[in-house]
Amino acid sequence: MSSEPIERRVSYLGDRLRGRRCQICGKEYFEIRDYCGNCGRKSFGKMDDIDLFYDKGKLEICTFINEPTNKFTKLGNYIYGIISFHNGKIRVPGRLTDHIVKDDEEIDLSAFEGRNVVPRFRRRYSVGRSDVIPTISLAFTLADEYYPHQQYAIMKPNKEYDAPGIVGYGVYTSKFRIRERNIERSVPFIDEDAITASVEAGKLALIHSGVNSSLVGKVYVGSESNPYAVKPIASKVAQVLKLGEEEGDMQGVDAIDTEFACKAATSMFKDAASLVSYPKSNIQYAMVIGADNSQAAPRDCPGGELDLFVGYGGCAYIFGKHDIIAEIEGWYSCTSDTPDFWRRDGEPYPMHGGRFTGDPAYFKHVRKAAKKLMDRLNLKVEDINYFVSHQPNVRFPVRVAKELGFKEEQYSPSLQVAKFGNTYSGSSPLGLAAALDIAKPDERILIVSYGSGAGSDAYSLITTNQILDKRERQKLTVKYQAGNPFLEYVDYTTYRRLKLGM
Amino acid sequence: MTRKVKTMQSHPVIVGVGRTKFGEHYEKEPERLIEESWLKASEEANIERKNLEAAYLSDYFLPITNKLGLEEGFLSELTELHVPMEVTRSFSSALLNACNAIQAGRYNMVLVGGLEKMTDRWDKIRDDLMLLEDPWSYYAGCTPEANHELMLRAYIKRYGITNEDLEKLNLALAQISVKNHLHATKNEYAQYQRKITIEHVLKARKNARKPLGLYDFAPISDGATALILANEEFAKKLTDKPVYILGASSATDYLTFPAREDMTRFLVSEIAMKNALKMAGIKLWDIKIAEVYDQSTVMEMISLEDLGFCEHGKAWTCIHESCKDYKGYYEMNGKKLFVNTNGGLKADGNPLGATGGAEVFEVFKQLRGEAGERQVKSDGKLQYGCVLELEGFGTKGYVYILGRN
Repeated sequence: MSSEPIERRVSYLGDRLRGRRCQICGKEYFEIRDYCGNCGRKSFGKMDDIDLFYDKGKLEICTFINEPTNKFTKLGNYIYGIISFHNGKIRVPGRLTDHIVKDDEEIDLSAFEGRNVVPRFRRRYSVGRSDVIPTISLAFTLADEYYPHQQYAIMKPNKEYDAPGIVGYGVYTSKFRIRERNIERSVPFIDEDAITASVEAGKLALIHSGVNSSLVGKVYVGSESNPYAVKPIASKVAQVLKLGEEEGDMQGVDAIDTEFACKAATSMFKDAASLVSYPKSNIQYAMVIGADNSQAAPRDCPGGELDLFVGYGGCAYIFGKHDIIAEIEGWYSCTSDTPDFWRRDGEPYPMHGGRFTGDPAYFKHVRKAAKKLMDRLNLKVEDINYFVSHQPNVRFPVRVAKELGFKEEQYSPSLQVAKFGNTYSGSSPLGLAAALDIAKPDERILIVSYGSGAGSDAYSLITTNQILDKRERQKLTVKYQAGNPFLEYVDYTTYRRLKLGM
Repeated sequence: MTRKVKTMQSHPVIVGVGRTKFGEHYEKEPERLIEESWLKASEEANIERKNLEAAYLSDYFLPITNKLGLEEGFLSELTELHVPMEVTRSFSSALLNACNAIQAGRYNMVLVGGLEKMTDRWDKIRDDLMLLEDPWSYYAGCTPEANHELMLRAYIKRYGITNEDLEKLNLALAQISVKNHLHATKNEYAQYQRKITIEHVLKARKNARKPLGLYDFAPISDGATALILANEEFAKKLTDKPVYILGASSATDYLTFPAREDMTRFLVSEIAMKNALKMAGIKLWDIKIAEVYDQSTVMEMISLEDLGFCEHGKAWTCIHESCKDYKGYYEMNGKKLFVNTNGGLKADGNPLGATGGAEVFEVFKQLRGEAGERQVKSDGKLQYGCVLELEGFGTKGYVYILGRN
């Protein structure tokens, strides 16, 4: 689309699947309609907003597309069909995503028809490298496969805490994996990127927390693979997830992108927590997202060593003082100007300092932040139930944990790099989620992130009773995504193609 | 949906038709195509171009395919006419405007011309087509072919067609394509003047791994068509073989196919046909020849139901039976119906803005008994014929009833 105003209008409706319902006759429309075609003028002002974003649809009929129009050619073969919502009251076109149709595969269309589907926020189609990236949620996945349908049930907060903490969280990794050597890594589908992962993670965090999205006053998105050099991911997240109070076609929310290699998100945990604690901010909840389609040059190019470790995914944390599942006990951050890993403007892939990324970079900062925070809070190794650190590979986090004196049962639950790869800004947050997924009330988690360039943030968190209540609200746990029977494994060539995107 | 339709009091008369061959015209500018077709039409009508009081042109994509705006200006240069000229999308929409003007007594004689040059934008035309047809479906990944396939899926489900019946339905659709190709072998203007077999159709579907394949769809074409339309008084002076437009009607439906109530029929065809019949004051089965808009084999099947020649959900059985030993017509409800005798869009070609003109051309020639090798042999005099043209995927439908009296 070469027209930005058209792009804005299409994505405004299509990303959230906005529609209207007539109060008089109940007829539903996809798109914003000011009056009902059946009821005419008397329905003016009597059209309710609806959206299908958290809904479940049914794939009524479908066909197979192997000669797409030009902008869809990178999708290859796909299933396209008509999806109905609300028992057929509303019907929309849609394509099945996260579904690779192999070249020699026999296709039985009736095997897809009649199944429930979930709308997914994705890139719409290919455009030139300098164009605005079109998005849409008229992409669907089968609800009985990797990504189940989950209701977004808003909970009325019932307990206020003295200190701020995590109210809910969401982890999103894709359905595709590459398995090489001893690790598996998540691979985005071709229509996914850091923007779509951010929205997915935020959506799952809202579902888990039960927080009313209109009460989220600020959203931070940390990423180093934003497909734009200039244009925030956070604005998309705010619009699609309707963060803050909705006023016309704008959201009453502050949205900002942050960047500090792999600690772009964890750095903002304290900012979010502080913001919700500051009485005059008028902000009840703040959301922090870390998401990356972790970049790496092809294996035989400079910087290509990273290609063995990079993953794809996003994590979102909602901070507040109500119904928290983990209270923030304290934090410590340190920074030094250490050029161990970088990506110059306009370059597609990052470079790294080889051996220099170890001792003078990762280990020095992680060790310092962890020790300093433990000293400050007067904590001993045995006071900590779970230790989480940034996971650029399997060796580093294990070595630093051992150096700090942690035992395997303390660090291994959060060690997820062998399942998902290094999800960059989402790496230590994903480890934290793995710990939160299994933690009991009144347990202490120490998380230490690391961002090249370089710095570390350490946080000590203490879980509350409410962690157990909210656990049932999330089907897409880290474990669920790591060991899912619907995971699809791809070869190296496919992995590179999918990662490159549309 | 129902409105009072009056029987036409005076009828616009077609006094001459002309067309180019459909297909790829790499070497020709769009102006050359419209020139060829309008010259043929005026020659047949034996008119002086100075007598033309207005022109109604149609094209969908010239501003996109050839970066041409103000197509009227080209026609003015070709004809040295400075009369009112208007451009619309389909040939049928241009013709409807022309009919209205003639009937209103505004003009005595006008030119109607349709033109398309799709192969000049071969690599992008499917995107253009799909965006025009239905933007939201395009955004969701739809192709121009996919809606036809979905309609077929909906049809199969709606009527519970399974097993042997399903095989027969699929075969009937293949037979439509074979039949249309057969007809086109006798049409010197057709894009594909060659026979194909059922095996061709089935193999193409198998290769595509889809219910419909290459041979189920009309091609992308260049071409132009034209006709001269006059009022009855004027026409009498020009010809003793007038072809009257007895009924002319159109209807409109949603742009977005999935949002329509019924995905197994085109509402626009039903409404337009009902109204056109009322205007003409004739009965359905007075019509013996029909040109329907077969962008796909499914569309031909469904259109025969929409127009009323066959019950909904049944056309495939009639088609299948008729094509077992094809005699040049379909037998429906015990009656003979000649369908797409020029080869249809499938084999004659489908240069969008000109296509409707080719349909009218065919019925005109058949009614006058001038269709040469293609001339149908009806029981009794061939008195009436109808033309159905659709815009988009059934977003608009136009029906014309043509007759010799």
